[in-house]
Amino acid sequence: MSDKWLCRLNALQLAAVAMAILLPIAWMVLSSFKPAADVTAYPPQFWFMPTLENYRQLFETTPFARYTWNSLVVTGGSTAIGIVLGVPAAYAVSWTRVTWPATVTLMARMAPGTLFLLPWYVMFRELDLIGTYTALIVTHAVITMPIVIWVLLPFFDNIPRSVLESAQVDGCGVFRILWRIALPLVMPGLVVSAILAFVFSWNYFLFALVLSSGDTKTLIAASFNFVGEGSTNWGGLMAAATLIALPPLLLAFAVQRRLVSGLALGAVKG
Amino acid sequence: MSLSIGTRGRLATLSAPAVIFTLLLIAFPFAYTFWLSLHDFAMGGDSTFDGVANYARMLADPEFWNGLKITVVLYVLSLALQLVLGTYMALLLHGSRRLSGALRTLMISPFVLPPVVVGMMWLVVLDPSLGVANWLLESLGLPPSEWLASPQWVIPTVALIDTWQWTPYVALIVLGGLQSLPPNVYEAAQIDGASRARIFWRITLPMLMPTLVTAAILRSVDLLRFFDIIYITTQGGPGNASNTLNIYGFRQGFEFFQIGYASALMVTLSAIVLGAVIAMVRARKAVAW
Repeated sequence: MSDKWLCRLNALQLAAVAMAILLPIAWMVLSSFKPAADVTAYPPQFWFMPTLENYRQLFETTPFARYTWNSLVVTGGSTAIGIVLGVPAAYAVSWTRVTWPATVTLMARMAPGTLFLLPWYVMFRELDLIGTYTALIVTHAVITMPIVIWVLLPFFDNIPRSVLESAQVDGCGVFRILWRIALPLVMPGLVVSAILAFVFSWNYFLFALVLSSGDTKTLIAASFNFVGEGSTNWGGLMAAATLIALPPLLLAFAVQRRLVSGLALGAVKG
Repeated sequence: MSLSIGTRGRLATLSAPAVIFTLLLIAFPFAYTFWLSLHDFAMGGDSTFDGVANYARMLADPEFWNGLKITVVLYVLSLALQLVLGTYMALLLHGSRRLSGALRTLMISPFVLPPVVVGMMWLVVLDPSLGVANWLLESLGLPPSEWLASPQWVIPTVALIDTWQWTPYVALIVLGGLQSLPPNVYEAAQIDGASRARIFWRITLPMLMPTLVTAAILRSVDLLRFFDIIYITTQGGPGNASNTLNIYGFRQGFEFFQIGYASALMVTLSAIVLGAVIAMVRARKAVAW
């Protein structure tokens, strides 16, 4: 077989792969714009009059706006905590080469969430924190902080030692060096880590499932209710799914190059 | 210039908040769960030391063994599918520089979607009576499937959903590995007249092994703790056909409030994950070149 044909065959297979990835997502989005009669029609309808009815109903019959706000508060809050705790830690770990503080945070990546949820539930009940933003933000920071630390570590490692040392010789303290010299140098990494932390905090299901209440329920935790009600209302269910998926998708496209290594928390170089 | 003790101390204060946070929210709960697993814990009431009673109960509980079996089957099936298909996709991408840019963007989509959304999406696509998947099968003259509603097929179906979501991620990791392989080895093999298949099995695959093991480790920690997609689609059903250890432990804890027993289940599952990771980190050293 000639190289030209091999190349075409390759492109054909890649097109099939692209279809396999795209079709289910496209079906979700299409269904969200279908009129009620068409969305559960069998055989499935490919041509229909698009409508925003499902979205309108979603906001009218469920506290969708409220859930969205809750998700933003929890995700934003936990990302902020992740940055405030993670940035100085990554800086110190990179400079001192004492890595255990970064390594311990990987426990959160390995243990099942329920392992933490059981004692948290007992502790937060004692503190009367179940159903509060505080409980949700703090527990979601368990996801965001390791992301911030591990994404930023290679960025801090890339700063030449001589830069830090000469600043020290000039009489700069370690905190001032972080703030004035190191932080501006790792700014691209900080943006990537913040976006990744946001995406994975937004997507996280388990903690909010147990620790949120009616008032603080996040979109992801509320999805569980949407599925219960959605058995008859696929249009609404797919509208909810599309809206919930939108923020992580858009943010991830913004940092796509760094995404894969960032997700691997230091296990993949490059 | 080595670090002075003063500098070291000041840097330690900078990592202290993160360390304290880790101790409070990760390490202490970890230890507390272990403590809980040794107690007969009653919410709000007294808890009594119970020795290994919860673990003894676990070993005598058929639902634990069922959960373990399902966890292992789901894990092996998904991991195998994702590594094989991921390598295949990476090879395709590697062979076509021109297309890879746009496709890489598309490939990111599945694994940044919330797993819960992925579950919702596939619930609709795979609906046994009205879903588009069965319509496709029928159009091709194939028998329809009950998918998630079938006790025999629910685990393969969940594995397929997870494979849809994470194969592109594995592929991008493997692609990174492919791109870092030294090109001169290939040139030498081509000059020697080796066939494409031979080059793949004898050169590419062995040199890719460290990357593949890394991808396997990353997927293993998620797959052994499988939760979101199952909980949103079947909650462990139909019957107990998708009741993985993580789902079972969660339900024991938060539906039946068997906190002590659930803790024993979670300690066991964590030990399994840790064991798998340690084994694979060793394996990665063995295949390093």
